[in-house]
This record gives sequence, structure tokens and C-alpha cells, in this order.
Amino acid sequence: MAYEEPITDYDYIVENCTCAFCGCNCDDLVYLVKGGNVKGELEDNVVVSGYVDGGHVVGVRHACRLGASKVMEDMDQRLLVPMIRDAEGNLVETDWDTALDKAAELIAGSVRPVFYGWSETSIETMKFGLELGELVGAVLDNQATICHGPSLQAVQNAGYPVMTLGECKNRADMIVYTGNNAMNSHPRHLARYSTFPRGFFRKRGRFDRTVVTMDPRYTDTAKMSDIWVGFEQNGDYEFYNAMRAVLRGKKLQKDVISGIPKEDIEELVESMKQAQFGALFFGLGLTHTLSKQRNIDIAINLIQDLNKFSKWNLIPMRGHFNVNGFNIFMAYEQGFPYGVDFARGYPRYMNGETNTIDLLTREEPDVFMVIAADPGAHFPSGANRHLANIPVIQIDIHWGPSTELADIVLPGSFIAVEAGGTSYRMDGVPIYMKKAISKPETCRDDEWIVNELLKRVQKIKGIAPREASK
Amino acid sequence: MTYVDKPPVPNVVKFDEPNAKKRNKLEVMLNTGSDIYQGACKKRGSTLKDEYRHASGTAYMDPRDMARLGVKNWDKAIVKTAWGEVVVFVAHSRDAPHEGQIFICKGPWANVIVSPETYCCCDPTYKGVPASIEKTDEEPLLMADLMAEVYQKYKKAEDDSNKLGKKPDNNIDWY
Repeated sequence: MAYEEPITDYDYIVENCTCAFCGCNCDDLVYLVKGGNVKGELEDNVVVSGYVDGGHVVGVRHACRLGASKVMEDMDQRLLVPMIRDAEGNLVETDWDTALDKAAELIAGSVRPVFYGWSETSIETMKFGLELGELVGAVLDNQATICHGPSLQAVQNAGYPVMTLGECKNRADMIVYTGNNAMNSHPRHLARYSTFPRGFFRKRGRFDRTVVTMDPRYTDTAKMSDIWVGFEQNGDYEFYNAMRAVLRGKKLQKDVISGIPKEDIEELVESMKQAQFGALFFGLGLTHTLSKQRNIDIAINLIQDLNKFSKWNLIPMRGHFNVNGFNIFMAYEQGFPYGVDFARGYPRYMNGETNTIDLLTREEPDVFMVIAADPGAHFPSGANRHLANIPVIQIDIHWGPSTELADIVLPGSFIAVEAGGTSYRMDGVPIYMKKAISKPETCRDDEWIVNELLKRVQKIKGIAPREASK
Repeated sequence: MTYVDKPPVPNVVKFDEPNAKKRNKLEVMLNTGSDIYQGACKKRGSTLKDEYRHASGTAYMDPRDMARLGVKNWDKAIVKTAWGEVVVFVAHSRDAPHEGQIFICKGPWANVIVSPETYCCCDPTYKGVPASIEKTDEEPLLMADLMAEVYQKYKKAEDDSNKLGKKPDNNIDWY
């Protein structure tokens, strides 16, 4: 790659910002801001408190490629004004009142609305979203439904031997990545939490740790790990079962299991037993293959068995920065982590019935609200095709594949850059993400948009607003 | 450990491999997921641009499979599954060897061909979908064109430019 000159053309530095990309929520980013006026305290050119009004981020220090690209967004495709689709099928710019009234009318008049998304916005926004969902009897679902949903089901089945990432950094001497490619999807995970950092008990960093990658593909993570276990496609369940059998002192009947010789499985299990503190990180390779939640069940059972010999924990590698936040928030508020259906007036959760993909495949919803998500880019077309039959309301910051299917577009703001908010890291640690610059003048905060929708729906339904939403 | 031996990855696609028999169509296993280039492009918001088509609408193949199919980097291929078909670029996979598997980054292109079947576990089957791949001369569509072609939400009656035939199948009879 060509050498790039360091960025020197900036006016202000905003320190201790949180990255709004993946579940690592790296909270040591430094934004380099050009232009604007500081609303707050300034020491030299470092913004000590407050934010820069009117500036824009020209550079990011410490972030990975993904985080930096997200923070230094593509302003060409930024959604700046609310839009409504006209009879010709073109998105036409409009004012906030018209767009919000139209959206509220659709939501209030719908029989089976689905509010999907929430993972790239703040907990504060979800609070209003939940109130709105309860009021209209909607299904509230987030991206877990297409990524770590089976992990959450497995947690309900088998338990959750969890740790924090700090524990992993200070103690772990054996790291297992299974079914995920952290170097591509969570680039700083190895650098900041698991493999490379020097911890309290792991003074030499990488040299004190053994990294194992289990993946059918020889991924970038596998290339830099000590051991690569390249089991067969869809062979996860059999492989973990074989490992559990060996762990319990059984003899394996077959010579090769899921493409791995049995001697190698025995050797791997022995080294996992010898570890002082082991950490298993699992990704979508386990949840997207055929056995789905049973893969995770067996991985959790394996960790439980390993705890008879040593200390082992696991963490799901959550994708979006607040996907865990929605699950924790919903579990705390309603008792269920995702796919919560309020159609009967009380919260109900039934896998395969109240999840977005199943609802869309059965063509049930009549209004679909997308908030901080992109079903156009990430749902199978068999589910997405129903979005062509129904009105779609989108709250997002960029013109993406979902905008091509949307009827009403409400431009939100960028949490952790243009708006503050709380998010939960992949290990369940809440982090407040601060505001660094001001949002574009014509955009609104997600929190304001959802609250405004709530107030308008309450008005249509003739219900007095509750204290919180006034 | 015996399986620590890391496989060598050839840098050049060889067309004259003695054991590579030329085929017109390959039966493969389709995997989807994310990689760092697709992730960076998507999250920056550059989805309408040509960059996204190359980052996301590309089937990463084993070099030996590419030799068999007679394609080189950035040639075009059509991938067909039980749920649909889509034209994508092909490129040499950085994770090779994985003969008999292709990898398409998640995005509107992969969506057309993955299975919406959740087996009542909420999660569609994005990985391990049986597929076939053939060389083609058609051009992969840009994101906005693809969305219009596939979902036809705002298709005008007289506009007959739909190259993909019928709308994607969700096998609704199963329910």
C-alpha cells in the first residue's frame, strides 16, 4: 500500500472518543477536527470539554481501518433532509413536519408494524422506541436476529460463562477464535483485548499466549495464529462433540472427525486443559451454519467441561457497537433479548415466529421501520422482497441499499461523533460515547426523531403523553 | 501438531495446471460473510459507488477452481442457487486453498442467492448454500440498479429492463 502522509491540516483534537463500529467499542480514539468553533473548554488545541460546532473530522488516531472509515464518513452519500417517495417513485425532499406526520400516520394505522434495527443507535433512543412499540403493538427486533440470535438462544439453553475483555487481557494465556475472522471484522480485538497487549499476568504479551483459530477457511486470523484447525464446512457440531468426548476420557471411534485426525483433537484438548486461563471467542461461522444454536450450545458445554480442569470463559464476537446494548436493554425492560412482539398487548418472544426474517418471509408486516440498520444490504432477498409490498420508514445517516426500498427517509445523526449516547460493549460493559462535533444543520438526533414519532402517534391515538415523552 | 502446517498460497492463477480440467460450470458451496474492505466501504456509506460493487459483489474463489473455470481476476461470473441468480466479479481468494467453496461478502449481491430459511431459529442460512458458478459476459449491476432489478418496488409498467427474470423466491409454499 502506498505511503500516506500523516494528517497535519487540522485545528482541534478531541481525545477519548469511542469508536462506533464493532462490538469492541475502542474508547481511546482521537479525532482530528478541522474548522468550526469550540463550544466548551480548549487547552492549546485539545478540546477538554464540550464539542466543536460546525467542524468536521479529517483524521482519526488509533482507530482500525473500519473505525476510521466510518468516522471519516462519505459525505457524498450523507442523508441530509427528510424525503418522501412520490407517485413517480422518486424520493422528494420535504420538511420535517410533513415527513414525521406521514410516518406517524403510517405507524398509527398499521396492524402489524415491525421496528427493526436499533444496534447503531443509543440506549436513550431505544427507550422511546420501546414506548412507541408498546403503544402500537409492534415487533421490536434488532440485528441479533440475523447474527447472534442463536447465541442468545444457546445462552438460554446452556448458560453464559462470561468474562470481561479486561480479564482476558490480563490473564488469558490461550485464546481460541472459532467461526470468526477477527482480523477482518474486529481488527483491534487482538491488538487491544486478547492477543497482543501486555497484561498483569501476561507480561510478555503475544509471547505468553497461544492463539488457536478454528475455521474451515484459512483466514487472516488463522494466518497469524499458532494453531489452525480447519474443520469441514458444517462440521462444527461434530468437532466440538468429539472434543467433549476426549475431555471426558472417552476413546474416539473414528480416525478422522470433521476432517481433523483424532490424534490432533486429543493433542488440542490436552493443551486446552493445560491452559491457566482460556478465552473462547465465537462468531457467525457457528450461528449461520446448519446446526445454528446447537453449535453454540455445544461450545458452551465444552467450556463448562473445560472448567473442571482449568478456567475457561467465552464471549460472542458482537458485530455492531450497540447490538449487545439492545439485547441487554430489552432483557432488562421486557425479559426477552430480541424479537419482542407487543401485538397482544404484552411482550411475547417466540423464535421462528416473532423474528423479522420469519415475519417478512411469511409476508406478515404491513409497516416496516428501519432505524440505524440496513436490511437492504443484509437480509436474504426472500425476506426483503416483502419490503417492496409495504411502506418502509428509514431512519439512517447514509443513502444505502435500504434507501432504495424506503418510502419515508428521516436523516438521523451519527452516535459517538455527532451525538452522545450509551452503548454496551460485547462483554456487556456500558460505555458512554461522547459528542465530538455538531451534526449537519438539517439532521436531527435519533432520540429526537423517535420521541417526535411517539408524540405524534400518541396525538393520533388520543392518548396523553407519559411524563418521559413530554 | 500435524495440522499446524500452513498451506502455501500461490500468488498467480495458473491456467495450464496439468491436473486442472477445464469446466464450464462448477458446483460449489457458497459462503457469505464480511471482510475488511467490504466493511470499510459499507460503513463509510459509499454504497452507490463502483467501489462497493467491487468490494461486495465479488466471489472470492480458490485459484485452482478459477483455473478450471477459465477465469482470471475481475472476470464476470453468474452464481445460481435454489433462491436466485446474480452476476458478480470473481477474484483470487486471500484465504485459499478452499477448493469447492466460494466466498461472497455480504451485501445486496449475496442476498439474492442466500437462503431465507431460518429453521425457526431466527437466523437465515447465510453460509453453506449449494451453488453453481459459470463464466458470463454480463456486467454486475451497481447497487441501485440491482435493488431496482431485483425488488422492482418502483418499477414502471412500461419499463421492461428486468434482466433477472422473476422476483426472488422465498419458497412461501413451505409455510
